[in-house]
Amino acid sequence: MSSLRDIKRRIANVGTTQQMVKAMYMIASTKLHKARAQLEGVRPIYRELSRVVRELARQGKARKHVFYRGREVRSSLYIVLTSDRGFSGSYSAGIMTRALEHMEEKNEKILVVGSKGHQFFKKRGKNIIGTIINLPDAQVYYGSESIAHWAIDLYLAGEVDEVFIVYTRFETLLSYVPCVDRLLPVDISGVEVDDHEHIKYEPDVNTFIDNVIPLYMHMSLFRAFSESHTSEEAARMVSMDTAEKNADDMIRKLTRMYNRRRQAAITQEINEIVGSATMLNVED
Amino acid sequence: MAAEQNNAVNKQKLTLNITTPRGLKFVEQADMIIMRCTDGDLGVLPGHAPVSAVLGDGILRIFNDGSVKKLAVFGGIVEINNTTVNLFSTIAQRPEEIDRERAEADFRRAEETLIEQLEEQDIRRLRVLMHRALVRLEVSSHAEEAGYGSDSG
Repeated sequence: MSSLRDIKRRIANVGTTQQMVKAMYMIASTKLHKARAQLEGVRPIYRELSRVVRELARQGKARKHVFYRGREVRSSLYIVLTSDRGFSGSYSAGIMTRALEHMEEKNEKILVVGSKGHQFFKKRGKNIIGTIINLPDAQVYYGSESIAHWAIDLYLAGEVDEVFIVYTRFETLLSYVPCVDRLLPVDISGVEVDDHEHIKYEPDVNTFIDNVIPLYMHMSLFRAFSESHTSEEAARMVSMDTAEKNADDMIRKLTRMYNRRRQAAITQEINEIVGSATMLNVED
Repeated sequence: MAAEQNNAVNKQKLTLNITTPRGLKFVEQADMIIMRCTDGDLGVLPGHAPVSAVLGDGILRIFNDGSVKKLAVFGGIVEINNTTVNLFSTIAQRPEEIDRERAEADFRRAEETLIEQLEEQDIRRLRVLMHRALVRLEVSSHAEEAGYGSDSG
């Protein structure tokens, strides 16, 4: 049985924790606000570019280009976006499980972003070829550009035959979906060849593809980063909110326990006094 | 050229949409647009055949009702179809968005460094920087000298 003083100490403890949680909630919600603005900005250009890239596949000539024509898959590059910090509920677990599932029966090469993912894949003996930890928000834009170029170089050099991006798509504050998209070769399922298509490409189709794919890759990565970042902050905000409510419940419970104990102690004391008083009266 | 533009006023206009990683940045009506592609300038009038092209670093000129607007556009692609021009680029700046001091500093730095002996790759990077600085300077100078573009149309 804990004494009154112990309970009091615990209430104070939970109170401090609650304040910390509250602060983290505020930070997450500010960051979420920023991340969402960035995400809303990048989504249109990503959507349009992926449409352009897919429409290109209608041209028979484009399909012969190295970025479209698939080849026998010997190894696959995975760019996995995870987080550096915890306190975000099932966010990290969700994305890593999804990545792991997808990697089955693949000869994987992983570029992992975030320390959580690094620990996870290292423990499972996966082939990590690169790790990026603590990427500042301000460098995400140029960072994704250099990752895009790096991935394209690996693909062109034949070191990898597929490039996947694993990220968490942000839908609403309460729902985020772990996704795996194939970036290279371009996914052309569902696009019919139509050589009568009248779109002309300047200077020519191949040069156009050579120029549009790096841009498309850059925007895809930047968008994936933004999606993941927004999901992470949303997850953190929601779990901090839950934690705050839990702390509230706990404080209420402890306070009730404390009051009950105090009351019991007082009652007992009164009983003792009354008891001894009665005894004294009888003796008189 | 004035007659040409008067004609265009009666006809359809082009709708120019510029999308950057910060969202749909400009929506403009235009009689004619001239943009810099990798292998030279490309002029577009309403009713243009469907073309998609690769853009270089350069000035985008928008002619509307006899006035010219200029933007600095660096790389990206453009999709032209009849009266719609969709432009996707990582950088598209209005004259008032350009930091002239920074562009001048960039230019000077690139120029100074180019004089020294350098690796092939650095030279190419500096040339790009220099060219971009020049484009920025020209676009932003347009804010002061109106009607600058009349000789380039």
